[in-house]
Amino acid sequence: MNCQRFETVVSELARGQMMAAEQRSEALAHSDECDGCAARLGDEQMLTLGLQSLASEMESLEAPRELEAKLLEAFRTRPVVVPIAKRSTSRYWLAAIAAMLLIAISVVVFRWSNRPADEPRQAVKQEQPQPKPDVSNQFARDIRKPDVEDSLPQRPKPKRIHPVTLRRPEVANHVTKEIATDFIPLSYMSAASLQQEGGQIIRVQLPRSALANFGLPVNMDRYNEKVKADVLYGVDGMARAIRFVQ
Amino acid sequence: MRIPVTTGLHRRMKLKSDVNDNDLLRLMLAGDEEALSVLYRRRQGSVYRFALQMSGSRSIAEDVTQEVFLFLMREGHVFDDAKGTVGAFLLGVARVHVRRRLRAEHRLEPLGDESDDDDVFMQSTSDICPLEDLTRAETIESVRKAVLSLPPKYREVVVLCELQDVSYGETAEILGCAIGTVRSRLHRGRALLLAKLRPAADVEETGAATVRCFA
Repeated sequence: MNCQRFETVVSELARGQMMAAEQRSEALAHSDECDGCAARLGDEQMLTLGLQSLASEMESLEAPRELEAKLLEAFRTRPVVVPIAKRSTSRYWLAAIAAMLLIAISVVVFRWSNRPADEPRQAVKQEQPQPKPDVSNQFARDIRKPDVEDSLPQRPKPKRIHPVTLRRPEVANHVTKEIATDFIPLSYMSAASLQQEGGQIIRVQLPRSALANFGLPVNMDRYNEKVKADVLYGVDGMARAIRFVQ
Repeated sequence: MRIPVTTGLHRRMKLKSDVNDNDLLRLMLAGDEEALSVLYRRRQGSVYRFALQMSGSRSIAEDVTQEVFLFLMREGHVFDDAKGTVGAFLLGVARVHVRRRLRAEHRLEPLGDESDDDDVFMQSTSDICPLEDLTRAETIESVRKAVLSLPPKYREVVVLCELQDVSYGETAEILGCAIGTVRSRLHRGRALLLAKLRPAADVEETGAATVRCFA
């Protein structure tokens, strides 16, 4: 080892730091041979002793005791920092879950409320295969009179009829089987009295020429054929109106 | 038989003294006052001494110690245990405050021969004879002044590695530099210390040129 290399390790050697055993022995051997490096090592060792003395002299020094009391007081009165971002995120999640639950409950309630109306309607359809009572039922709905409905043929009535259910596909299909005109008041009846009163509907067959009596066009090719018509009778047994069915 | 009477507070403090610094910090941030107390008692000494050795002033050391723990209360959540220990973190914060304070007070200039007004932390030891005691005290005082006269970047390395006995690795964490930088700064700092102490030693050793001891 030469003096230059010795200079690089002299501090570590004087401080007693961990170093390779071979390097350490080489450095010590060099200091034995070189007076300058021996003096350099002596200086470093004295400096280390001086620093260690200073460190041990100050080892027992501590901050004043009242400082702890001040800090604890400050700790008690410190503003509490709340992690706003995390809390707001969890709130968003809770709001989203609550909204989804609300939507799900609304759908279930909506379906549940419509369920009773469907079942009785199916029962009505099974009990009344003929189209005639359905037509009268349609009329009863048109004039919206409970007493008229009471006079119609007895059938199980749904507890609750939602307006939407009246436009169900099965009703529409039934109506499309027959094409009917509007009820035409007979000459001695007014349209207002027709709306106010209920009655009974009876289907009849009339000569096609009867169409002309009510101002309707007549197909001359089928002049001899009959035409179906529904006659509305009032509660007093008098005919009130008529409509033609095809 | 006398049963030692301990209050609930003391018992809890004793229990917490077994907890490591990271857990104490976590508890403190959660609002545990005892955790702060235990952590303070455990770490205040090294913070205070570091600030005192860096500044040479008791008042600055007290202020810095207070600032460090106030910072820990407010911003303790920034501590990352993957990057180092709580002790190194506190010394790093202390270093920032010391440098800021010294810069504000223009104390970064090398000290002259006049001693600081409140540098009364040197205490004599009574185990040795008065003459040796005086020599030792003078030696320590001269080393202290030499350390304080170092440029800050060398001074903090000398204080941490030599006076605080912090490892090279932790010193590198505190200073935010490489271990090689710490080694080279320490080497340079020691060389500067020797250069500052040698003239005084030579004056004392007039007539005894072969003796180079200054401690």
